[in-house]
Amino acid sequence: MTTSVPAAGGAPRRRPGSAGRRQARAAWLFMLPTMAVLGVFVVWPMLQALYLSFTDYEVFTPARWIGLENYRALLSDPAFGNALVNTLYYAAVTTPVSVALALGLALLLNRRMPLRGFVRTAVFVPVVISLAVVAIAWSFLLDPNIGLLSHWLSQIGIVSEQGWLRDPSLAMPAVMIVGIWKNVGFYMVMYLAGLQSIPTALYEAARVDGAGPWPRFRRITWPLLANQTMLIVILAAIATLQAFDQIFVMTHGGPFFRTETLVMMTYRIGFKEFQFGYAAAISWALVLLIFVLSMLQVAYFRKRSVTY
Amino acid sequence: MRLRSRTWLVTMTAAIALMSTACAGQGQGGGDAGGSGGPVTLKFWNGFTGPDRAAVEGIVSKFNSSQDKVKIEMEIMPWDVFFDKLLPSLGSGTGPDIAAMDTAQIPQYAARNVFQPLDDLYGPQGIDENVLVRSAVDATVFKGKRYGVPMNFTTLKLYWNKDMFREAGLDPDKPPADWDEFGDYARKLTKDTDGDGKPEQYGLAIADHATIAMWPILFWQNGGGVVSEDGRTAMLDDPATIEAARHWAGLITKDKIAPVGLSGADADKLFQSKKAAMEIVGPWMTTGFEQAGIDFGIAMPPAGPKARVTLGTSVAFTLSSRATGQKKQAARDFFAYWNSKESQAYWSANSGFPPNRTDLTADELKGNPYSALFGQDADKSRFYLAGVQEFQKVNETLFEPALQRVLNGKGDIEQVFGQADKEIQAVLDNAQ
Amino acid sequence: MPQDNRALRLTWRLLTAATGLAIALAMLFPLVWMVATSFKPEPEIVSFPPRLLPETFTLDNYIGVWERLPFTRLFLNTVVFAGAVTVCSLLLDSMTAYALARLRFRGKGAVFVLVLVLLMVPFQVTLIPLYDLLAGLGWINTFQGLIVPRLTNAFGIFFLRQFLLSIPRDLEDAARVDGASEWRIYWRIVMPLAVPALLTLGLFHFMYNWNDLLWPLIISQDTSRQTLPAGLALFMGQHVVEYGPLMAASVLTLLPVVVFFIIIQRRFVAGVATTGIR
Repeated sequence: MTTSVPAAGGAPRRRPGSAGRRQARAAWLFMLPTMAVLGVFVVWPMLQALYLSFTDYEVFTPARWIGLENYRALLSDPAFGNALVNTLYYAAVTTPVSVALALGLALLLNRRMPLRGFVRTAVFVPVVISLAVVAIAWSFLLDPNIGLLSHWLSQIGIVSEQGWLRDPSLAMPAVMIVGIWKNVGFYMVMYLAGLQSIPTALYEAARVDGAGPWPRFRRITWPLLANQTMLIVILAAIATLQAFDQIFVMTHGGPFFRTETLVMMTYRIGFKEFQFGYAAAISWALVLLIFVLSMLQVAYFRKRSVTY
Repeated sequence: MRLRSRTWLVTMTAAIALMSTACAGQGQGGGDAGGSGGPVTLKFWNGFTGPDRAAVEGIVSKFNSSQDKVKIEMEIMPWDVFFDKLLPSLGSGTGPDIAAMDTAQIPQYAARNVFQPLDDLYGPQGIDENVLVRSAVDATVFKGKRYGVPMNFTTLKLYWNKDMFREAGLDPDKPPADWDEFGDYARKLTKDTDGDGKPEQYGLAIADHATIAMWPILFWQNGGGVVSEDGRTAMLDDPATIEAARHWAGLITKDKIAPVGLSGADADKLFQSKKAAMEIVGPWMTTGFEQAGIDFGIAMPPAGPKARVTLGTSVAFTLSSRATGQKKQAARDFFAYWNSKESQAYWSANSGFPPNRTDLTADELKGNPYSALFGQDADKSRFYLAGVQEFQKVNETLFEPALQRVLNGKGDIEQVFGQADKEIQAVLDNAQ
Repeated sequence: MPQDNRALRLTWRLLTAATGLAIALAMLFPLVWMVATSFKPEPEIVSFPPRLLPETFTLDNYIGVWERLPFTRLFLNTVVFAGAVTVCSLLLDSMTAYALARLRFRGKGAVFVLVLVLLMVPFQVTLIPLYDLLAGLGWINTFQGLIVPRLTNAFGIFFLRQFLLSIPRDLEDAARVDGASEWRIYWRIVMPLAVPALLTLGLFHFMYNWNDLLWPLIISQDTSRQTLPAGLALFMGQHVVEYGPLMAASVLTLLPVVVFFIIIQRRFVAGVATTGIR
């Protein structure tokens, strides 16, 4: 039927006995273009950044090797401590809140209800639009003098005298809300996908046993969504630990560094103060942080995962 | 079928290759342009996105059509975008030949040899410094060498909203003359009509971050400052600085004469939307305020207890170290043209900035009333952080956050400013 | 257990519908505000108390944008950039994902870990070295400089690998026994099954690149290579923020992605829902 032809990317079938080797060769050929692009344009610059993190590179001047000096400086730099705390604070609040909201929305929108399609679309629309652009709108809405949102909030008694973004204790919650607003739809859709894969027979059986909605959720929905939850929590954590866009537009890390995350700090140190070697060291500290936290999460979820 | 899928792949690859090559050759390398024939092309970047944009474009296009040896290719972008793009592009040699920037920003680049000293462009054959505003030329000096040629120069002035003065029972033609009047007027002009503790109208708009220097003027007026005039000593813990900061921070936090946490753009917007009665700012806002229908006056900022002083500020042309030979000659021609009598008359008429030259007569300047106003008292102006190598660190990383902490009541002035003083001193010492 | 009470069920239905509607409006609120504001004259935008809907309706802001931004040029640049990246990236991502999910070879684990690590590295780290590399190639301010570094993407590989793992192997095993080449299996059997996932990923790639600001802003040096968000950033002057034209330009920037999403949304939600990211 099909005559095999040495197709682009495939290997000619000369030694039918060595199927394993043939597959391996095909695999590398399939990955070749990706490897080339990633190697040259991602991995190579990354390795250079890694090298530069051991130097005093200032973009315009030649790099001088200083060993672990940048990393040592990090440990005693209060600005780094501040950015680290802010980053963890941001991630520790937005990750669980986004995931919980996404689950709630998915549960609500998985049942039959009027306007379901419209509501799903509305929740997802913030995901597809540019955060840098809508963040401008958000700043305007929160403006203490002419902002519609702060006006409405003040009418129900929530007055922020300086305005949300200028108030040292409210700026962080404001950028968090925008971050959650932007991403919750994405996680909701992932949860919807998970919910639809749960066989309805399981629920019917539980109903016959007389289980109410909460036990049904506890015993069927939640455990069967474990894989989803793991993936969502890990993706959300990676994203929140790299929060940048809305902070860059709305507060620029201020007031007095109260919203400066590690990525914001990298930008400031590298682009504004030219200390690129030090900025690279901060980034690598962040990569390490993300890596360790992701591994911890995987380990945690692995231990608790249930399969039916 | 098989064929189709392969054809598709081949077409794809070809398309990508074609697209790539089609655009190749558009990439522009830096360094010297070829020496043979044709005009020398200079890439020129600046941040004049405001109402003065048209005036900048006007002079550049006049220069380009006035001769055929030099061609200026200009890109205008907002200043923050400008600086973000400048760093990687200068680092790799794909940046502009000429970059215009606030003189306070120049030393950061000059110290890293990105720009070249321009002393040899000055002189009778080139740019005659004797007819230029002295302080603007001096502001380009870093470690004894001039790294720039003035592109503009101005002082900051007090703007006040005359309608609001009338409403508050103040004489609309009499701006405050000293600190007592300044504070007193500001209090009278602050109104909390609905009594929720947050004023609907402020006496003053003063920015504490991302702004042209406003607070340092108040420090200078009391004999203090952020750093000393020679740029060697931090002055934030000087009693005069602390006294000035305490006085105005008190009026802002207790009497609420101004909102806390404004950026420069916020402050401009507040005055423009008639929610603040006074602001200290430059001539670039006149157009915006006129368009908003504000009846405003302009005067020297009120005198302080120790000095009658305001901020002088200048944007200067700089030249990349890579632009040598022909390019440098071409740049000198352009800088000289920009600072010629004719161009400067055009500049002040169309931008509202005072001219960079001191030899233009009042008659030549009558095209724009603001031009002369902002040129007055140039001798009572002072440049902020002139010649200080690490402007960014001193101003945005250390000074502004300290000021914001004080205004937000996070810590005592002596302690916060004292700490910032030490850190600024360390930055200054490190750069010596 | 709730009784089969009609009134109760109706109330419940109304309650969920009202909740749903409230959620939808809250999510859309900033966008509705942007659109409404883009039709207001400037003095009305900055007036107090603020209102959501315009009292006087004006198109001036859009006209202003049209006059001041080379909109068609920027739009085409964005289409070329986001479109080329999306198409190429889908091809390269899926080829790699196919190898990682369906083929057996040594070093697979290492490649997958590498992909995961790349997923965790913030883009800002590589920006300066990458810029220097492109400058060395003479690719600053070119389309290939914008596009080539984005031709493949760790998230795309990860996403498609997860999806491909969930497809049953029967068909391709049969094809292998018949002696079909791997390329043929990939292209004729696996890819057609992956269409929903490819569409979903295609939307992600397209919107990510359409919306991206920092990269096109840094790499482009004039309007011939700027994208819409980069052009928009150039629109915001430091001393003059005119909110009306800014909002009009924002609406015009956001509109294409929203329209694109609404067009493919049925297939998109189906793509995630029936197969999606598991």
